[in-house]
Amino acid sequence: MTVWHVEAPVWTAYAAGTLDPAAEASVETHVAGCAECRAAARAYAAPAPGVWEAVQATITRPRLPRPLRPLRRLGIPEGDLVVIGASDAITVSWAVAVAGALASVLATTLAGVRQELAFLLLVPLVPVLSVVAAFDATDSLREVAEPTPVSKLRVALLRASAALAIAVPATAAIGFVVPGLGSLTSVWLLPSLGLVLAALVLHTWLDAWVAAGVVSAVWVGVVSSVHSELDTVTAQLLFAALAAALAVVLVLRTTTLKLGGAR
Amino acid sequence: MTPVASLTDVSKRYGATTALHPTSIDLQTGVIGLLGPNGAGKTTLLRLLSTALPPSTGRIEVSGQEVTGGHAERVEARRRIGYTPQEVVFPRGMTAFGFLDYIAVLKEWKGSGARHAEVRRVLALVDLGDRGSMKVARLSGGQRRRLAVAQALIGAPELLILDEPTTGLDPEQRASLRGLLSGAADTVLISTHQTEDVAALCDRVIVLDGGRVRFDGSVPELLATATGRVHIGPTASDGAVQTWKTGTGLVRSVGGQPAPDSSVVDPSVEDAYLLLRAEQRFTEGVTS
Repeated sequence: MTVWHVEAPVWTAYAAGTLDPAAEASVETHVAGCAECRAAARAYAAPAPGVWEAVQATITRPRLPRPLRPLRRLGIPEGDLVVIGASDAITVSWAVAVAGALASVLATTLAGVRQELAFLLLVPLVPVLSVVAAFDATDSLREVAEPTPVSKLRVALLRASAALAIAVPATAAIGFVVPGLGSLTSVWLLPSLGLVLAALVLHTWLDAWVAAGVVSAVWVGVVSSVHSELDTVTAQLLFAALAAALAVVLVLRTTTLKLGGAR
Repeated sequence: MTPVASLTDVSKRYGATTALHPTSIDLQTGVIGLLGPNGAGKTTLLRLLSTALPPSTGRIEVSGQEVTGGHAERVEARRRIGYTPQEVVFPRGMTAFGFLDYIAVLKEWKGSGARHAEVRRVLALVDLGDRGSMKVARLSGGQRRRLAVAQALIGAPELLILDEPTTGLDPEQRASLRGLLSGAADTVLISTHQTEDVAALCDRVIVLDGGRVRFDGSVPELLATATGRVHIGPTASDGAVQTWKTGTGLVRSVGGQPAPDSSVVDPSVEDAYLLLRAEQRFTEGVTS
């Protein structure tokens, strides 16, 4: 039996991948049957520093919620998606929007002669509940989030836009699914915008669901007393003005010293 | 020397209650301990300085930026502050890494590569390097406390404000956190009930009581207020603030008239604190 072992220059070339295929195959066949060369091989194996660290880094890195992943390819900054997707809040928000829309369809269909009242009571609140759900999960971190330098207005608008991206089409669809709603299919839009902004303003003082509760109670009061007037031009202009005023209040609340969460 | 942070005539009222009377404090570099009973105004002071709470009156500056001034200056100040509140309620379902990643985004770490490296750095600092992928709900109380501290360390702030960071930690974890905090930032302000932490860690002690600063000085200066006033002997001192029988069978007395056969012992920070509190209660009793 010929006793030979792989020599140092051959190992170096093998490790660097510069041996010709025949010599490479010969080294591999030999090593398979030679314990001494298998032991020697370890000295030439390329060092693998940081491999475990890299593996650990990959498995600990949080992944964006599945529905948000495609948005990265649309060029939305990853940091914005982390804010929107924190604690899976946006998935809950979208589920609330769809469930709210389905419940509204059901209630409006079953309401009979009171269809108009049921529609006006429920539908404008669907976007409000969806937006509030987007804030609820991270509400407990206010005390930690408040002293961070990020623009609170930007965070509020990011979350609200992400929620409304599903809530508005879902709500608008109700008008097309339920027959006989006539002009009501567009009447809800301006009041709903006002209610969403009111909830966002109140959320600078209150917990998300408390803000939603207050807004809903006020809306139920408004609809019960003047629901037949809501589709008039005057009422619609009034809601537009209210929405504009609330938008200004929201900007002030998120930029002046009287901070949100300062309870 | 220009202070890292300063409060000038800062006060805070909640309706009819005054949580903090007009107070002026300059914070230089070093570790500053804030001592005081529950309801003394410690948390209010820390929240005011952290910008989580607006003051009723006065002016707060951090690194030359006026927190109580315009929005831009406040944002600039916030970039230099790390704050751990007394209690952090973590959102459901978040992992330790996910929580820190979210806070890092709020602290303007935009690029994911650098941000994830920073998250790993602070996780390792608080000995949670191997817990990143765990759900926060599955971490122990001590681990959650350290995670709450870790978020304040993101971005290596100049001013670190920690509200009772050692609560719920075992002695080993406390010692390790002390080691971390002593070099974590230019200025570290911690409130605590653990007088040993103050003795072991702080260059300066501020004692707050009833919304007012009752003592502000170095640890040796605080100890000096109790020198010669702590005794040990077979019987308790007459009129002592606190007495207790030690393991040796002798009675340790803080304050009061020493019994004839007792001897003076070196005071601890706790002794000095208890004496300060007793004097405070006495003054209140006389004036009310």
